[in-house]
Amino acid sequence: MNRFTASERLGRLLAVIPWVVDQDGVSLDDVSARFGYPRERLEADLLEVVQYVGVYPFTPDTMIEVDIVDDIVWIRYADWFTRPLRLEPAQAVALLAAGQSMLAVAGDDDGPLLRGLTKLGAAMGAGDGTVPLEVKLGEGAEEVLAVLREAVRDHRMVDIDHYVYSRDEWVQRRIEPHRFFADEGQWYVAGHCHLAEDQRVFRVDRIRHAALTDERFEPPHNTGGGPVFDPSDATDVRLRLASPAAWVADQYPNRGTDLADDGSVEVLLPVTGRSWLERLLVRLGPDAQVLDPGEFGRDLVGLAAARILDRYR
Amino acid sequence: MGKLERLLNLIAALLDTPRPLLIEEIRVRVEGYPDGDDAYKRAFERDKEELRAMGIPITVSAAPGTDPPRDGYRIDRRDYAGTDPQLAVDELAALHLAATLVRLEGVDGEDALRRLGGVVGSEATDADPLAAIPTPEALGPLFEAARDIRSVSFVYGDEERLVEPWTVTFTRGRWYVAGHDQRRQAERRFRVDRITGPVTALGSATADRPSPEAREPRLAPWQMGDEEPVRAHVAIDADQAPWATHHLGADAVTETRSDGSIVVELEVTNRAAFRSFVLTFLEHAEVLEPPELRQDLVEWLEALAP
Repeated sequence: MNRFTASERLGRLLAVIPWVVDQDGVSLDDVSARFGYPRERLEADLLEVVQYVGVYPFTPDTMIEVDIVDDIVWIRYADWFTRPLRLEPAQAVALLAAGQSMLAVAGDDDGPLLRGLTKLGAAMGAGDGTVPLEVKLGEGAEEVLAVLREAVRDHRMVDIDHYVYSRDEWVQRRIEPHRFFADEGQWYVAGHCHLAEDQRVFRVDRIRHAALTDERFEPPHNTGGGPVFDPSDATDVRLRLASPAAWVADQYPNRGTDLADDGSVEVLLPVTGRSWLERLLVRLGPDAQVLDPGEFGRDLVGLAAARILDRYR
Repeated sequence: MGKLERLLNLIAALLDTPRPLLIEEIRVRVEGYPDGDDAYKRAFERDKEELRAMGIPITVSAAPGTDPPRDGYRIDRRDYAGTDPQLAVDELAALHLAATLVRLEGVDGEDALRRLGGVVGSEATDADPLAAIPTPEALGPLFEAARDIRSVSFVYGDEERLVEPWTVTFTRGRWYVAGHDQRRQAERRFRVDRITGPVTALGSATADRPSPEAREPRLAPWQMGDEEPVRAHVAIDADQAPWATHHLGADAVTETRSDGSIVVELEVTNRAAFRSFVLTFLEHAEVLEPPELRQDLVEWLEALAP
């Protein structure tokens, strides 16, 4: 750590001092590792700074005492720093949210995460012990999530029954799940698909059934996050969006937008499936105008609307 | 004397004092400030802001015996420290692992762990993060207000709202806050990322809070509106039924037919959002009731059909 500013040191010392006070002798190496405080800097700050901290009139009985003997440190008389600074609200939210999410994903019956989270909730939550926070990273059936987690962890292949939203059909396939993650409110599983013989990403809430197999696979070295949406085999569709529909340009990956004076937006959208485009256009209705339908044909929306109307007649 | 020592002494002095201190009293108690009056004031202001930015609650109130009243400064020990959760080492390690897998963007999780007793255990070096959650400015203050049962004001959709927050929820990739809207005298939900400007803390909240079970978040888009509530029944084909059931919850399903299709009941206060939801099913769903919503959908589609 080259740059270790005065405020970073101050922040750490406010946590280090009360912790060391409680230990009644602890090695400098332990403190250094636990608080991310370089060893030399820590020793110097304790001996050259903390030792001189106290309150008016700075007589020996109003000053902090630091002893270091054979690399073991004691701090005494730090009456003002017997407790660490409380968490900021966003920090409390961060830890509670991370803990709640992991509990939902990984499970931890009676384990350290549940215990820690319960204590944290009691300390950071409301006076009545409730925590006014709920986190749901994604949608999906519990049993499907459980199977996929196990498969990713144990490198086992799974058979999934997956709904292809863009083509409006169910497809069964075997996959080698490499990675499991949440993005924009959805769970995804990424991995090698035997059917496509290629890397694919599947939205978990569109998997209605997942079965663990006994076949194992060799996990790849790099499972790093590629894009969820791969537009390489897409066809481009040009739309004009009136301002109530302009969110489309923010929400979906696109190849460029053009803002007009009246607040409308022209957008070039890469589209991989007809059903996906139909859904978008029947929902947007008069707020979207198809300028160039690509390979999908000009009457795409009309035909889709007529198909739906058939149900109502 | 270095800045680090001066700041530590300043915190100690403000925690130590039972009454608010005037700035000239602080000058006597804390060494290391420059000599000139103006230079001292500027240096003290900078220090004060730096400590506040770290979350140190320096309060300003009238110093006793001053007339007209003058600003005095102190730190209340209870506000400074909060409650100690007394985490064991394995609990700290489990939270550390969780915080490396699920991150709140822009929040220093390690700093939070240090305040709870240190960063212990391993990071999840062999696993990819599960999720990175956005952190709108307003999130912390709203959580704090919900926890401390206080009301807040903020600007939402060009209008100032007075709200008693009950709970903050992350779902479908976004943060929401649910609570009592004082002007409308009703429960409302807001998207946290659409709040513009600061969240201002007001007094204690007064309206009765529903129990945690009763305030199960109903965050569906068709419920985020001010329209007269209406109960809609929608038939959904067997193919789409599992997804719809997971998405809407089993309680929404009022009928399962022999062919595997289902009927769901939804309370609608935003008709446009409801129509949009039903249309995501294309021809695999049908609005059954009420006639008013069925007709709305038919008219919408007729305008699109050739």
